[in-house]
Amino acid sequence: MAGRVAIVGVGQTRHTSRRDDVNLPEMVGEAVRAALADAQLSIKDIEAFIFSNMESFEGILLPDHGMITEVGAIGKPGLKVTGGGTTGSEAVGEACNLVSAGLYDITMVVSWQKHDCGDATAGISAAAVPIAAKGLVVGAVSEFAKQALSYINQSGAREEHAAMVRLKADRCACRNPYAHLRLGLKGVEDYLKSGFLVWPIRLLDFCPQSCGACVVVLASEERAKKIHNKPVWVVDFEVAHQEPFSAGSFGDPTGTETYSQDVAAARLYKRNGITDVRKQVDLAEIYEPSTWEEMSLYEHFHFCEKNEGWKLIEKGVTEIEGEFPVNPSGGVIASNPIGATPVIRIAEAALQIRGDAGEHQVTRDVKTAIATSLGGPNWTAMFLLKRSL
Amino acid sequence: MAERVAIVAVAQTKYHPNRADVSEEELAYEAIKQVLEETGLTLSDMESAITCCQDAYDGRTIASLSLQRVVGAHFGHELTVAEDGINAAYVAMAEVLSGHFETVLLVSHMKESQAEKSVIENCAFDAILMRQLGLDYTSAAALQARRYMDRYGITPEQCAKAVVRNRRNARNNPFAQEPMDVTVDDVIGSRMLASPIRLLDTKPISDGACAMIMTTEEKAKKLTKKLVWIAGGSNCYETHYLGDRELADCDALVKAAKKAYSMAGINDPLSQIDVAEISTEYSYQEPLWLEGLGFCGRGEGGKLVDSRTLEMGGQLPVNPSGGVLPGNPNGVAGMARIAEAVLQLRGEAGAGQVEGAKVALAHGYTGICGQHQAVMILANM
Amino acid sequence: MSEGSPTKKVEGPEYIRIEFNLPRHYNWSTGRYLGKVYAEAKENKKMVAPRCPNCKQLWARPPSPVCPKCKVDVGWDWVELPLTGTIFQYTYQVYPLWDPHEGERWSNPHPPAIILLDNGIYFRHLLEETDTKKLKEGMRVQAVWEEDYEKRGKGFQDILYFRTIEE
Repeated sequence: MAGRVAIVGVGQTRHTSRRDDVNLPEMVGEAVRAALADAQLSIKDIEAFIFSNMESFEGILLPDHGMITEVGAIGKPGLKVTGGGTTGSEAVGEACNLVSAGLYDITMVVSWQKHDCGDATAGISAAAVPIAAKGLVVGAVSEFAKQALSYINQSGAREEHAAMVRLKADRCACRNPYAHLRLGLKGVEDYLKSGFLVWPIRLLDFCPQSCGACVVVLASEERAKKIHNKPVWVVDFEVAHQEPFSAGSFGDPTGTETYSQDVAAARLYKRNGITDVRKQVDLAEIYEPSTWEEMSLYEHFHFCEKNEGWKLIEKGVTEIEGEFPVNPSGGVIASNPIGATPVIRIAEAALQIRGDAGEHQVTRDVKTAIATSLGGPNWTAMFLLKRSL
Repeated sequence: MAERVAIVAVAQTKYHPNRADVSEEELAYEAIKQVLEETGLTLSDMESAITCCQDAYDGRTIASLSLQRVVGAHFGHELTVAEDGINAAYVAMAEVLSGHFETVLLVSHMKESQAEKSVIENCAFDAILMRQLGLDYTSAAALQARRYMDRYGITPEQCAKAVVRNRRNARNNPFAQEPMDVTVDDVIGSRMLASPIRLLDTKPISDGACAMIMTTEEKAKKLTKKLVWIAGGSNCYETHYLGDRELADCDALVKAAKKAYSMAGINDPLSQIDVAEISTEYSYQEPLWLEGLGFCGRGEGGKLVDSRTLEMGGQLPVNPSGGVLPGNPNGVAGMARIAEAVLQLRGEAGAGQVEGAKVALAHGYTGICGQHQAVMILANM
Repeated sequence: MSEGSPTKKVEGPEYIRIEFNLPRHYNWSTGRYLGKVYAEAKENKKMVAPRCPNCKQLWARPPSPVCPKCKVDVGWDWVELPLTGTIFQYTYQVYPLWDPHEGERWSNPHPPAIILLDNGIYFRHLLEETDTKKLKEGMRVQAVWEEDYEKRGKGFQDILYFRTIEE
């Protein structure tokens, strides 16, 4: 990138299943105020806005237009991007481009989703080819169910491993004041009590529909150092889209095809001289919509060898106190306001780098972090963040 | 701006009231194929694709899922801009200027024929306060038109003159949907839709797509001799609630234009710009947007439309392509304006050519009464 | 950073709930490629897919003018698909979820499956057998068409489901 960009402020709301106390703009306004407070900036300092939201879930056309007053964007430039689950990443990427292109010094990414306004599963089912896939796609759940089956067949992972992933996510979420699902699960028995949605995905295997917003403020190198004493540098990002696999949407049951995660990770790591991820990167906040998907993603992001993702879980490698923490925020399984989730991953990674994550701060010192997102039929976006350049 | 971003190829499909013969991706591909053929590039040469479509109009969550194949997004980058097509160009410009990507494919498509426009537009209004009033873009525009005309004394005849000129200019545009020879009386005599907007004051339902390829100056020089580059661009938001703003003015456009002009080194738009392509879905918008663009003072849009300035051969021809009124889908309109501006600067506008055009303005807007406005200034090298 | 979102305690009158239905109708076009699939299914009870001239891969569901891997024009070389195969993978829905097309919650009793057709192509469709205890991966299945010509014209849904067969 031409000019260098840093995150100088982050803000989020407490993600929940319902926010009956606020309307959409008010909810988003909370996160905006939080981010401005964190950056110690006033709304006047923000020069451009990039909005991230999946409009189909609230049934709104041009959702950014309704936000303008509450987020302080009247009379300012900006636009909204769409990209399925990766919308937030595209928004941050775009906001970075605007700064590194020299067009603005300070931009703000405003992302949100208020799932109590609509039904996410119906929204996702509507992403299927309108005429050709009617009745076949049961939201994202059925697609992840197929992915889970493939993973079980190929890697030998067992139900206990999915349970362990869920327990880890819940332990982390209980230490994160913003997380949605803080269930206090005690053990595998709690996991086994939850019913199946689409076999083999249980209710506890899958991410919730949350109401929440997340805002990050980005600044050019020149301004970043004056705004925040701990700017987090957005060193690089990579996006890879994907055609649906020939035999699935989120997983390849044949075991023969390449995943977009592998492609994006290979490119990002190569450009940045990363050959041993768990040594050179200190933390990952990944977008894992289901427990099985988390184990599979460990492999695709090269955190471990193929078919060994479940071993990292078994050995506790990815816990908060672990050697390579993954999703200390509780991840997507704990909170999922779709339009905001990728931005939450980036915000959480930034907090960890700053040492500001409070109770869910990891033990390992985080100098370099990865934040990823997943969307559509297995699209991937990956961000590389660093404490210093 | 230090480096320059060039537009090396543009294409549009002929706008049509109902393209039931093609799916969304086939429609977009018609335009994409043309820009690929013109430059000799392939989809594999595109490092990034910016699409511009709305979930609500396509009836599909993540509308760009239809386009992934025809933009070559497999293992590549694709981003959807959910505003009018002119904003896709802004995003692409930032991608190239930041050095993140070198060659970017842009495509904007919409099939207004496949959806109930009014119902979808109603979803743009605030769900709690405005939606149940049953507003759509036309009824909201009628509020703005009435306010504008009452405040500044713009007359229906003046608005009708904009229609006459745009529809006539469209005769020179091979992509135009409904070129027409109409008179002011025809327009004022046409059926009332929402007072004061009549049938001929607005555009027909339209399906179409527009595509372009943007790249760095260096690469552009290898691809074409007719270089067109982006000299400036910006956009701006207004308030959402109709009662919160003075509908007779368009402050967002004033701000967007000002920023674009300053980037391009323009301080006297009327004399420094050779041709303008502006987006107007309703006739009253022409005098109103022209005021916002600084081609005349506030409230003087009517006088400007009355004069010969905007005609072909005048000081500042506006919409030699006919613009949006003869038929352009929402969402594609702004990108089509850039395409037409590019054709002008390359000397390829045929019978509608403005002689010696060197600097062109393209304008697009999104949303209720132009809540989001965007301006781009283009120049040939 | 602020503590978290303020939660206002709502006391007094309950929430006002206003319901109104806003159905959005769409006239989607199949276009040329999907249209060919629809025509062959309706007229000839055949399922066809275009073949990429470069990689020779068949892109059945959905067909597209551009090959996603080669990024070149797919052209107009159509291949008939065999309609027998084996169950590669299947799942079944337990919890009734919203269907945006129907506007109501339902649980499709027919399990969605990935069928490996006899020519090596994966085809996603429903299975006839609603008792999932009788299903196993690897079982042979065969497409069951909608026999009534008047009722056909739904493209892939002209095949009602795949029936397990003894072989």
